[in-house]
Amino acid sequence: MSRGDISSSRTAGQDLPRAWGRWGLSLLVVLGLMLLLGMGQRLLEQRTDDPLYRVIVNGQPLTLDAKTHAALDRDMQEVTEDIEARLMARMRPWIRMRLAITFAPLEAAVPGYLDWYFSLSGSYARLGMTLVDDVEPWLEAQLHERLVTPSGIEQALAELQRAYPKQLAGMQQRLVDQLTQQLYERYAPRQVSMQEDARPATAVYVLDLDEVLNRSLSEEMDMTRWRAATAGGASLGMLTGRALARRLGAAVVMQGGRMAMRGLLARLGVSTARSLTSGGVVAAATAPSGPGALLAGAATTAVTLAGFAGSEYALLKLQEARHRPAMQAHLLDEIDRAHQALIETFEARTMASAMAAGDRLAGRFSPADRRDELPHAYRILDRRGE
Amino acid sequence: MLPRLQTPSWERLLELCGRHAHLGLVLGVLLLWSLTGLAFAEAFFVPVWVIATQLIVAGSLESARLRRRAWLGQYLREGSPWHRWLRGGVVMVVRHQLMGAGLALVLLVELRLLPLVYWPLLLLGAVVMVVARHLLRRRLARHVIARHVAAVTRRLLMLPTAGLLIIALVMAALWLPQPYLVGLSWEEALLDHLQGRENDSLLGFFVRLGSTAEITQIWVMQNAVQNLQVTNPAALLGWVLLLLTQSAFAWAYVRLLVGADVLRREGRHDDVDAERSGGHESS
Repeated sequence: MSRGDISSSRTAGQDLPRAWGRWGLSLLVVLGLMLLLGMGQRLLEQRTDDPLYRVIVNGQPLTLDAKTHAALDRDMQEVTEDIEARLMARMRPWIRMRLAITFAPLEAAVPGYLDWYFSLSGSYARLGMTLVDDVEPWLEAQLHERLVTPSGIEQALAELQRAYPKQLAGMQQRLVDQLTQQLYERYAPRQVSMQEDARPATAVYVLDLDEVLNRSLSEEMDMTRWRAATAGGASLGMLTGRALARRLGAAVVMQGGRMAMRGLLARLGVSTARSLTSGGVVAAATAPSGPGALLAGAATTAVTLAGFAGSEYALLKLQEARHRPAMQAHLLDEIDRAHQALIETFEARTMASAMAAGDRLAGRFSPADRRDELPHAYRILDRRGE
Repeated sequence: MLPRLQTPSWERLLELCGRHAHLGLVLGVLLLWSLTGLAFAEAFFVPVWVIATQLIVAGSLESARLRRRAWLGQYLREGSPWHRWLRGGVVMVVRHQLMGAGLALVLLVELRLLPLVYWPLLLLGAVVMVVARHLLRRRLARHVIARHVAAVTRRLLMLPTAGLLIIALVMAALWLPQPYLVGLSWEEALLDHLQGRENDSLLGFFVRLGSTAEITQIWVMQNAVQNLQVTNPAALLGWVLLLLTQSAFAWAYVRLLVGADVLRREGRHDDVDAERSGGHESS
């Protein structure tokens, strides 16, 4: 027993430094291996040829090493992030200019419409319609006929519709040209020197940047055809003149109907003192075939008629003085609102198409999304999908 | 032993935990290291590597000494000085240190690459090893010289545990979803899926190497399975790579656990077994 005790204490005493020695040996071995492998790694890094990338920019093939290619990738990412803003910046002045030109005649036509509106004939026609029929569709038709048609905005908008995709395509083309030019200038000096033609096989990726850019944008062109889509401010249905008239009229007609009724009441209030039924007179004057024609006989003398007409004219002028500025402001306001909505629509379309193009470009350039259509996972066993 | 097993209590559980604390510690260190960020992993790469090497070497050295002693006892005369020369000295230690360092490297790199899904498997492997050791020791205690029971147990334990773990790992590798590489060229697959690309340190280099091996293996196997050209030598390469990496990993892992056992036993001064074996020898 005592021998065992002694031996165990002896081994314990010896074990401690020996254990530490073993740890030290491990450390030594590990450090030695690290040194060796680190050297090997450095040697390997020096001797590996990186894969070469061939990129076609601006019609010129560029051969880039991995690092430069990564830089080009980053630049393209930035560019694609930027492409919306740049396209927007180019398209915005054009859209605004064209729309301003388009809407100018409409605004110019407002006084003419109001002249008719507050003219005797217009006033009575309105009054008559108020009595006889629903005034709102009629007023809408009048708006269309007297305000929208003379201004020629329908043709102008149709023209704009045709011109917009062309303009967008042209702008995009110019943008692409500029981008590729810029990229080419930036990366042409950084090419791998092509003296070592011995290893052309190492080029892994051949990327035709021009083609990618053009395809991304031309796919976009199909989408820029006008479809019934709402993007942003107003629907594209607005672009037809009839709908524009309806929109313009929507508020004005309400107002107009109310004003017509108010004017009728006012006139009735004045006229009843002198004549039998001014409503009948008015109706006879404006709509002789209407039911008011039965009361036409009530207008007896020319004097009363003249006096009546005079007072009616004065009243109309008074009404015009009172309501015309407000109505004009209202119409102009409404036109302006339509104008703004159209600007928003066009800009939203431009933005959407630019963003779609940018997304597609980004998709082409990030390798993770490059093969989106492929499944992400694969199982060797248990392939349920097959 | 048996009645204590039948009535599990908190004390028993605590004792169990205490007895396997070294395994828990080792696994915890490995888990922590493999899951933390790159900066941390790089900073602690050398210490963890040294620890893993040491553990692996402890186990393998013990087993090698046992084997050598058995061989010498088999063939050499009692009094021959060759007993002393061939007992296993510097050469054996250095050889095992180198091999251990290599295995530890494989283990650590694989751990960095391993998805978290594999960890339950590894922990289960540790539990299986503990249970198997317990059972095996009880069986062996009646037949093996008491001084060598622990060592023999560990020696016999290695192969079945590592084998089971290898099978489990290979099955998991085949069953778990892999990145889809069918129809890609090898370079494209590498470019898309290589890990550890962003750092230039040594660990990054190893991770890249390991990742390359893994991607190559997956790429070969998927394309072989898909094209049904299983007789292709390339497909064979895939299987060999898979088996080699998984078995090296599993072997290193089990060695590590066994080595933790060895070191703990050696480090304990009041070793019950040693005392018992000493008493047994003197009596």
